[in-house]
Amino acid sequence: MKLFKLLTLVVLFLATGLGHSQEKEEERVPGHYNNNPFKQLYEEFSTPNQYRSASGAPGPAYYQQQADYVMDIELDDKNKKLMGYETITYTNNSPDVLDYLWVQLDQNMRARDSKTPLIQSSGAAPADMAGNFVNQYMGEGFDGGFNIQEVKDANGSNLVYTINRTMMRIELPESMETGDQFKFSIRWWYNINDHVNGRGRSGYEEFEDGNRAYVIAQFFPRMAVYNDVEGWQNSQFWGRDEFALVFGDYEVNITVPSDHILDGTGELQNRKEVFSKEMIKRYAQAKKSYEEPVIIVSQEEAELASKGFSTDKKTWKFKAKNVRDYAFASSRRFIWDMMAVKLGDRDVMAVSMYPKEGNPLWEDWSTKVVASTLISYSRMTFDYPYPKAISVHAKNQGMEYPMICWNYGRPDEDGTYSDRTKYGMFGVVIHEIGHNYFPMIINSDERQWTWMDEGINTFVQYIAEQDFGEKYPEAIAPNKKYPSRRGPAKNIVGYMSGDQSRIAPIMTKGLNTYNFGANGYSKPGTGLNILRETIMGRELFDYSFKTYANRWIFKHPSPEDFFRTMEDASAMDLDWFWRGWFYTTNVVDIGVQDVKKYYVTSKMNQQVKQMMNARGMKESDLPPLVYLVEENSEDFDESMRNSTLDDVTTLQEYIMDNLSPEERMNLKKPTFFYEVTFEKLGGLPMPIIAEYTYSDGSSERITYPVQIWKTSDKSVGKVIASDKEITKIVIDPDEETADIDTSNNTWPKRKKLGQFDSFKKNSIKN
Amino acid sequence: MKSNLKIIVFCLLIFTFFTGFVAHKFYVSTTKVEYVKERKSIQIISKIFVEDLEQLLQERYSSRVQLDPKKETDLDQSYLLNYISQKLKFKINEKEAQLIYIGKEYDIDILNIYFEIEDVDSLKSIRIENKILIDLFPEQQNIIHFSNEKNKRNLILDKNHPTGLLNFN
Repeated sequence: MKLFKLLTLVVLFLATGLGHSQEKEEERVPGHYNNNPFKQLYEEFSTPNQYRSASGAPGPAYYQQQADYVMDIELDDKNKKLMGYETITYTNNSPDVLDYLWVQLDQNMRARDSKTPLIQSSGAAPADMAGNFVNQYMGEGFDGGFNIQEVKDANGSNLVYTINRTMMRIELPESMETGDQFKFSIRWWYNINDHVNGRGRSGYEEFEDGNRAYVIAQFFPRMAVYNDVEGWQNSQFWGRDEFALVFGDYEVNITVPSDHILDGTGELQNRKEVFSKEMIKRYAQAKKSYEEPVIIVSQEEAELASKGFSTDKKTWKFKAKNVRDYAFASSRRFIWDMMAVKLGDRDVMAVSMYPKEGNPLWEDWSTKVVASTLISYSRMTFDYPYPKAISVHAKNQGMEYPMICWNYGRPDEDGTYSDRTKYGMFGVVIHEIGHNYFPMIINSDERQWTWMDEGINTFVQYIAEQDFGEKYPEAIAPNKKYPSRRGPAKNIVGYMSGDQSRIAPIMTKGLNTYNFGANGYSKPGTGLNILRETIMGRELFDYSFKTYANRWIFKHPSPEDFFRTMEDASAMDLDWFWRGWFYTTNVVDIGVQDVKKYYVTSKMNQQVKQMMNARGMKESDLPPLVYLVEENSEDFDESMRNSTLDDVTTLQEYIMDNLSPEERMNLKKPTFFYEVTFEKLGGLPMPIIAEYTYSDGSSERITYPVQIWKTSDKSVGKVIASDKEITKIVIDPDEETADIDTSNNTWPKRKKLGQFDSFKKNSIKN
Repeated sequence: MKSNLKIIVFCLLIFTFFTGFVAHKFYVSTTKVEYVKERKSIQIISKIFVEDLEQLLQERYSSRVQLDPKKETDLDQSYLLNYISQKLKFKINEKEAQLIYIGKEYDIDILNIYFEIEDVDSLKSIRIENKILIDLFPEQQNIIHFSNEKNKRNLILDKNHPTGLLNFN
C-alpha cells in the first residue's frame, strides 16, 4: 500500500513537471477526430498500389505511354506564320483499352474565341483613352490559334476529331489494346504572335531593323499524358499553368530563311549543310573548351547577317531521344557561343544564343551560368543526360523546354546594366536550365501541381546560385554570397504571415492559388531548404532527394511519390512537415514564454507538502528526496542563493552510499537550475533551436527535435542544469525556421533594433 | 507614347501572368506600418518591385526615368517621391497626416521606402489609402501589415478597395 502510494506520488511529480501542479476543473468536452499535427497522412495520400509503391518508387506494374514524333516545320518569316506536318506514333503501354486520344492545342489560348480573357476579372474604368477603349471593346484582336488542316491515319484516311478549346479528341478507328501502336498525322499552321507586346512564352520579338528573333514553343499539337493517377491529363490550358507531356523520340526538320541561325532540342544531324566551314572549326574548338565559351557566330557576323533578308531557305535537321517536348529559336540576329562541361565521363555542351541587345552581359556570363548550373544539378540529382543545354535571350520572359530555354536580362542601350538586371539574368538562366531536371526529365504534372516542378526547381536553383557565387566571385562582387531571393527561410515570412484568406495551401492546383509566385515557387522551395538545413541535415536530405530524382528519371511522379521517398530513404517521419507546410497554411511561431530559476534543497517544499497532506502521508513515508524551489516561491530564502549541491544532505547521502570515489570525481556539479517554457503560437511544429548564453560569455546551442511538440501543442518545458548562470536565451538565432514573429524569441525580452530604426540611424549618420 | 501605354495596359490586363519564371509573377507591394507609442511615432516601410515602379514612372513622367542606384538622377527621385506622395496617404484619428520621408534603399529588385508620422499621442484609428502602381497594373495588390504593441492587422488594398480603415477602440 505504501509503495503504491509512493509510486503514485512520484508519477504525479513527474507528470506535472515542476511548476504545473494546478488541478483543472473537469468540464465535459465532446470527443473529436485526431487533430494532432503529427497525425500520419493516410487520409490525404492515395493508397499505394501496383503502379506506385508505398516506398515512393515506381511499382512493379508502373507504365507510361510513348509518343514519337516526325515533324517538318517551316517558318515563314515574311508573313510571321508557322506551318507544320507531324506524324505521331503513339504506344499504349497502359493496361487500359483506349477509344480516343487527347492532343493539346496550346496555341488556341490565343484564338479569337479563346476563353482566357473571359476569366480575368476586370473593373469598369470611369474614363478611358479612346484608343484604349477601341482596343479593349471594339477591336478584333490578334488572329491566333491553330488552323488544323488535316488529321489522318497512316493510310491517309481522315480521322474524326473534336476540338474543345485547347484540347483535341481524336477518335480511334479501332480501340487500342495494351501494347498497340497507332500512327497518325496532323497538318497545321498558325500566325505567330509578338511575345513582347502581347506577352507570351512563344513568338517573336521585332527589332528596329525589321528583323525578328523567334523563340518557338508549344507550337505543335502535342500528346497529352495518360497515366494511372489521372487517366487523361486533359485539364484546359488557360495561359498561366504549364503542362505535362509524354516522353518519346523526335525527328524534326525545320526550314527557315537561309541566313538564320537556329538551335533547338536535340542533336543537329546536318551540321555540314547548315554551318560554314569557319563555324565547324569553331565548334570543334568549343567541344574542347571547358573554361571559356567559344564564339561560333560573333556579334559582327550577326550584324552583317541582319542586313540580308535572304529569300532562300535552309533546313536544320535534329534528332532528340527521350524528350517530352520540342522547342527552337531562330533569327539572323543571333550571336552564338558554346563551351563543354564534363559530367562524369561525358561531355555536354553549354550553349547561348542572343541578339546584340544582350551584350555585354550575355557574352560574359550566359554560357558560364549554364555550365555551372548543369554541374550543381548533376551533383544534387544525376548527371545531365542530354547532349546540350541552350540559354536563349528573349526579352521579358523566362520559360523552359527540353535542352532549350528563354531568358530575360537585357542591359540598357549603352551596354551598362543594374544589379537588378544582372541578378535577374543569372537567376532566370539557372532556373530555366534547372527545369531540364524538373519537370523535363522528372516529369510531374505541372498543370496540377505547380510546386513539383517550380518549387523543387526553386530549391535546387538556390543551391546552384550559391555554387555559382562561390565559383565566380567576380560575378557577384562586392557581395560575398550570391544574394538569392528565394530559398532563405526568413524571406518567406512576409508571405506566410499575410492575410490567411489570401493564402492557399501548396497542395492546390496552380491556377487556383492567389499569389502564384510565393505559393508555387518560394514557399515549397524554402520548405525544402528548411528540411535540408534544419530538419534532416544535408547528408540525409541529399541522399533521399537523389533517390527521388533517380527513381523518377524519365517518369511521371506524383506528390506522394516525392513525400514517401524522402521518408523511405532517410528513416525520418516527415508527415508532420508535409502536412503543415504543404497541406495547410499554418505558420511557425515559437517563443520563450517564461524562464524560472530554481534552487536545490533537501527541505521539503510547500507543493510537495500539500500533495502529501491531501493523501494523508507524512515526510517519513518518503524515501530521501531532493527538492527544487523556485526563486519567487514562498519556500525560497536568500541563503539558497549561495548553497551548492554539497549542502543538500539527501543528495550527498545518496552519492556517498551509491557511488564509488571514482564515480564521484566525475560528477557534474550544476549550481543553476532553470525551467524554460517554450510557447508555440503557430500551428506548424518545428524543432526548437535554442541558444543559451552564460554569464562567462560562452554559449551553447541545443536543438530539441520537433517531436518535443507531439503531445503538447501549445507549450513545453525544459529543465536546464548548469554550473553557469544563463544570461540570455535566443530561439532560432539564425532565422532558419521561417518564424513569423521573432519578437518573442529572446529572453529576457529585448527589442532588436528594427529595420526602420537601423535605417534611420544610418541615414542620420551619413 | 500614348499608344504605347494603351498597348501595355491592355496586354497586361490579359497576360500579366504569362511566363514560366519571373521575378515576382504577381503584382504586390507590402507596406509595414508600426506604431511606436513611447516615441509617438508611426514607422512606415514600403517595399515595391523596382521593375514595376520604373515602368510606371516612365509611362507617367518620362521614358528616361531610371530606378538604378548607379544612374538615378535628382529628377528621377523627385518623380518618385511626387508619385508616392500622391498615391500613399494616411489619416490618423481621421485627420490627414503628414508623411515625413526618411529615405530609400535598393535591395536588388526591391525598393524600400521609409516614412514616418510624428507626434501621434494616441492612436484610435488609422485610414490608409495606397494606390501605388494601380494606375498601370489593374491587378496590383498593396498589402498593409500593421502592428503596435498589442495588435497585428492586415489590409489588402487594390483597385476596387484602395482605402482601408483600422479602428483601435
